[in-house]
Amino acid sequence: MDISRRRIMQSALALGALQLFPQLTMAQARNLVFATFTGSWEEAHKAVLVPAALEHMKDANVILDPMISVDQISKVMASREHPPIDVMLHDPGPALTAIEQGLIEPYPVADSAYYQQLMPESQDPMGPSIFYQIVGLTYNPDTIQTPPDSWMDLWKPEYKGRVGITNMNSSLGTGFMVELAKLHGGSDSNIEPAFELLTKLKPNLAAVAANPGQLASLFQQGQIDISPGNFNAIQILKARGVPVEWVAPKEGAIAFKTSIHIVKNSPNRDLAFALIEASMSPQVQSQLMEAPYLVVPTNMQVKMSGEIAESLAKDQAEMKSRFRFQDWKVINPNRAAWIERFNKDIQV
Amino acid sequence: MSARNHDVTVYSLRYGLPLAAFFVLFFITPLLLLVLVSLHDDTAVSVWGVAQYAKIFGEGLALRVLGDTLWLGVQVTVLCLGLGYALAWAYVRSSPTTQKVLMMIIVMPLLTSVVVRTFAWVVILGRQGIVNELLLGWAWIDKPLRLLYSREGLIWALANVQLPLMTLPLITTLQRLESNLEDASAALGANAWRTFRRITVPLSLPGIIAGSLLTFSATITAFITQSLVGGGQMLFMPMYIYQQASSLQNWPYAAAISLVFLVAVIGCVTLLSYLGRLSKGYATT
Repeated sequence: MDISRRRIMQSALALGALQLFPQLTMAQARNLVFATFTGSWEEAHKAVLVPAALEHMKDANVILDPMISVDQISKVMASREHPPIDVMLHDPGPALTAIEQGLIEPYPVADSAYYQQLMPESQDPMGPSIFYQIVGLTYNPDTIQTPPDSWMDLWKPEYKGRVGITNMNSSLGTGFMVELAKLHGGSDSNIEPAFELLTKLKPNLAAVAANPGQLASLFQQGQIDISPGNFNAIQILKARGVPVEWVAPKEGAIAFKTSIHIVKNSPNRDLAFALIEASMSPQVQSQLMEAPYLVVPTNMQVKMSGEIAESLAKDQAEMKSRFRFQDWKVINPNRAAWIERFNKDIQV
Repeated sequence: MSARNHDVTVYSLRYGLPLAAFFVLFFITPLLLLVLVSLHDDTAVSVWGVAQYAKIFGEGLALRVLGDTLWLGVQVTVLCLGLGYALAWAYVRSSPTTQKVLMMIIVMPLLTSVVVRTFAWVVILGRQGIVNELLLGWAWIDKPLRLLYSREGLIWALANVQLPLMTLPLITTLQRLESNLEDASAALGANAWRTFRRITVPLSLPGIIAGSLLTFSATITAFITQSLVGGGQMLFMPMYIYQQASSLQNWPYAAAISLVFLVAVIGCVTLLSYLGRLSKGYATT
């Protein structure tokens, strides 16, 4: 055989050009892109939800593309006709934005096996809620001997220079400010009392994290000793041996329902349906409830047990009574103005 | 025989067309789209108007953030200039072996990712970081200093991250200086300080301008370092734009502040280039 340089170049270019036409190459499995949250949720879903969902899918892959809610909305809005994501996971505020912008496909409730098993508050035809994010106080037990028990502990003079908060870009930051306002005479639409309290908090502040993920690393570096925090976010840190504990304040921990949605114009609606069904099923939800994931379930058939039952609530009824819920339909329109105000007030 | 003698003093732009087309498609067009998006009044991008620019110049937060960012750039550039000039000076006056080692040290930060370098600064400046541990160990302070999430810490971290951008142009310029000029100046009776002030600095002005331009531009757009070392209390333009675009989905406002930022940076660069033109009077060989 006569191998000349010309032949090799022609073959290489032809092989390269074939990459432009994937259908010409071997038959490929379909990919379902699931945008989950970064951090402990990504790990939980990769380990439990994805294998459970794959059992019900033929010839398909589930690809996890972790990003926060608002980034998911940006990505889908940039390309509505051919969305890069098939299944989205959202905090309550961005979920309303996504529905308003027409990015969501209604969930086929009639075909679902598990939809009716969810708590009534978690049922929503545009996208069911598959877990709750719980926000309370996170603290370092090595440096703070008596566990804090109230939101107002953050203002104590002995915590000067040791308190961390996030800015209001995230649900954590906004939810914290709204909760503060509601405890001091404000409401879901008026958080003026919270801004006044924020000014008083400034001497105690060691850092304002740019996002909730950074808050976790601030504990690790010893920059802050106490902050409002997400119950699940610290599980990874605890697993790695960082001294950090979560406690619900006596006024009640804040609960955000997190909903999962099928994206409009997605080519893989059946696969998306299978994934969401798996996420609502009692098997997956009870597995996710166990350590180390500790994800709060919404399916009423799941009996709360383990660490969640001890530190959060024994069953769904207690959850409804002990947790504080916020009305994001009222919060959303005000967010932009609040974030500007926060930017101005927080500057040193 | 029809020999066509084309004019060799004029260059045909034909061969630049593919690159120009690429440039127009992927650079000019998105920029124009940005301008168009910024001329809308509402976040759904449907109503035309100049409300975004009215908001920027009327309400004040955007201008304050812009001023803060440009001032940060100036502070870091001045610090970098001091450190970079000393480093370039040492490089030019070392033996070849030392020069190889120094060049490795200078270029090494450019070979590492910015995120890794910034995290290294987080480790150095943190409450349990190297600086605080040393100072506490020597009992110069009795409780850790707040170096991280402070402006001073940010300036030092940015100066370190952008130092290669200042040092390399300065090394190039200082190497091209004729050492005879300095000898001539000494022979005519000037002391070392006068030689430096009247001969070396004016002759190295092109390098100073080039280094300053690079450092300034890189500093004010350094999103990662500003966020990780600066924290959430100091708001600069990159984070402000990201916040408006991504968290709030307010594309027209984000586009408007991006364009204002672009114009401000172009203004600063023009100013620096003008200073550069003043140095043409001191041209080297």
